[in-house]
Amino acid sequence: MNAIIQCQQLAKRFGSKTVLQQLSFELQQGDVAALIGPNGAGKTTLFSILCGYLRPDSGNASIFGHKAGSSALFGKVAALPQDAQFDPAFSIGEQLDFYGRLQGLSSKAAREESKRVLALVDLTEQLQHKAGALSHGMRKRAAIAQAFIGTPRLVLLDEPTAGLDPVNALHIRQLISRLSGEVSFMISSHNIFELEQLCNKVLYLENGQLKQHSSSDTTTQQLQYLTLQLEQDNSEAISAALRQLPGLIDLHCAQRRELVLSYNPQHNADFDLAVLQCLAANGWRYRNLTKGQTLEQKLFNPA
Amino acid sequence: MALFITTLQHCGLYAGFELRRLWLTRRGLMTLAATAVLWFFLLRYAIAPASDLIASEGFQQMFRDAFGAFGLSQLFAWPAPELAIYWILSLMLLPLLCLFFTANQLCSDLQRGTLRLLALRSSRLSIVLGRFSGQMLVQSCLILLSLVATLSLAAWREGGLTLAMLNAAAVIAVNLLLVLLPFTALMSCFSAMVRSSRLAVSLAIVSLGLVFVLLSSFVFYFPDFLFLLGYMPGTQVMQLLPMQGWQTLQYALLPLLQTLVLLSGATLLLTRKAL
Repeated sequence: MNAIIQCQQLAKRFGSKTVLQQLSFELQQGDVAALIGPNGAGKTTLFSILCGYLRPDSGNASIFGHKAGSSALFGKVAALPQDAQFDPAFSIGEQLDFYGRLQGLSSKAAREESKRVLALVDLTEQLQHKAGALSHGMRKRAAIAQAFIGTPRLVLLDEPTAGLDPVNALHIRQLISRLSGEVSFMISSHNIFELEQLCNKVLYLENGQLKQHSSSDTTTQQLQYLTLQLEQDNSEAISAALRQLPGLIDLHCAQRRELVLSYNPQHNADFDLAVLQCLAANGWRYRNLTKGQTLEQKLFNPA
Repeated sequence: MALFITTLQHCGLYAGFELRRLWLTRRGLMTLAATAVLWFFLLRYAIAPASDLIASEGFQQMFRDAFGAFGLSQLFAWPAPELAIYWILSLMLLPLLCLFFTANQLCSDLQRGTLRLLALRSSRLSIVLGRFSGQMLVQSCLILLSLVATLSLAAWREGGLTLAMLNAAAVIAVNLLLVLLPFTALMSCFSAMVRSSRLAVSLAIVSLGLVFVLLSSFVFYFPDFLFLLGYMPGTQVMQLLPMQGWQTLQYALLPLLQTLVLLSGATLLLTRKAL
């Protein structure tokens, strides 16, 4: 496996506040990694170190074998930094052209590239408009577009869909999903459902420390999960019935009308079918039955 | 070698972008308009009347008697009195104006976070050198425009342009750029330090004043170190005033060295700065 990001014992302090403490992790080629954590956990600081905006107080951060921020990474690593704005004096197109030129494209190729990346975020018609004339969401999408200029191999996105309307947030998620595989992503977001859809690896930061570093699939041959969302609020009766099913290890109510069942598939390979039959036999209606736990359950409410 | 070429290419791109900012953006056009208005008033109410006065024999004799000992009578040797007045005014005014015009080399981009987008594509050395080169190009344009206006005034009064006038104009342009180099580099430093161009100007003025006062006090007690005052940016201006022709370039080394040192400082500041 090729590690694209290697962080070893990263530490960063701002004054007396320790923001990152001895952080070590690796990401592999093709990974789409989620960076999750409460406010002030150190996510943006980690992003800034990986982009070369900040220097760690100690430890190493390397990307594709080069020190983070090194000139060898220009064009290979792209990012959507938090709160970075375009220059209001120039049109979006002019600035994207300029970024393309800095990445080594000719004037003509840079113009074509600007059109291509703006089309990715559905902003083709805004090419001639200045950043100040665009809405917050459009500016955000234009900032995402700049991250796809050229052929980046790693894209770091800090809150990519924050402030976007649902349709455009969906477009961005679809874009990331379409490009993942050929491009590796690291995404910081508070939208856990979005990260669940996009990411195969999770880095959970809390107080500057890595609390969890796992792939999203935590099931084993002896332990699997089902998440059941019910239509009616009679989970106690349903729980009692489901507890009788062979193979069940544990059952708990994650939230109102939502049950999480853990089971041993070696004892009951058709456990999901048994659950559906149990519901049907009792006339209980359900909204959703999902294999596995949600990312939220894994992180904050482990069974 | 490849890194050196890339840095040069990026510097060119940044400098070109700054030129576009001057000629193609509202803010740039306002700068051009402000410069045009300033030089209109200087040409109309200072240079034109003073040129007529300087051209008169009686004034020249009186001036030689009064200031001949300071070498200022060399001013009459300029091929046109307009150029002599332009020389004095621009040497005295432009360094100060330069502090204001070039204060925003990096501040706004730091404040907006635009530098984060740039730093993913080019080194901080390229950003500093590119923005500096851009500001020098912009100032070259402004100097050339004002020089063309002054030459036109001289040609109108003299009844035509002479080769000597064009040569003198070239001397003035080159010397002014040399004088402005360290001031522009100084603003590169201050604009890399703070996120507001106003604060950068204030810091530059206060710092220059403070250094001058501290050095003067030091020299008062230790007169052997008087030469230190000669290393302040712009100190060669007083030596340049009575001079003319290409011999003025004998004072070129100091501003070039000052620029090198200040740009190194600006690069170091930006490299160490959290974006």
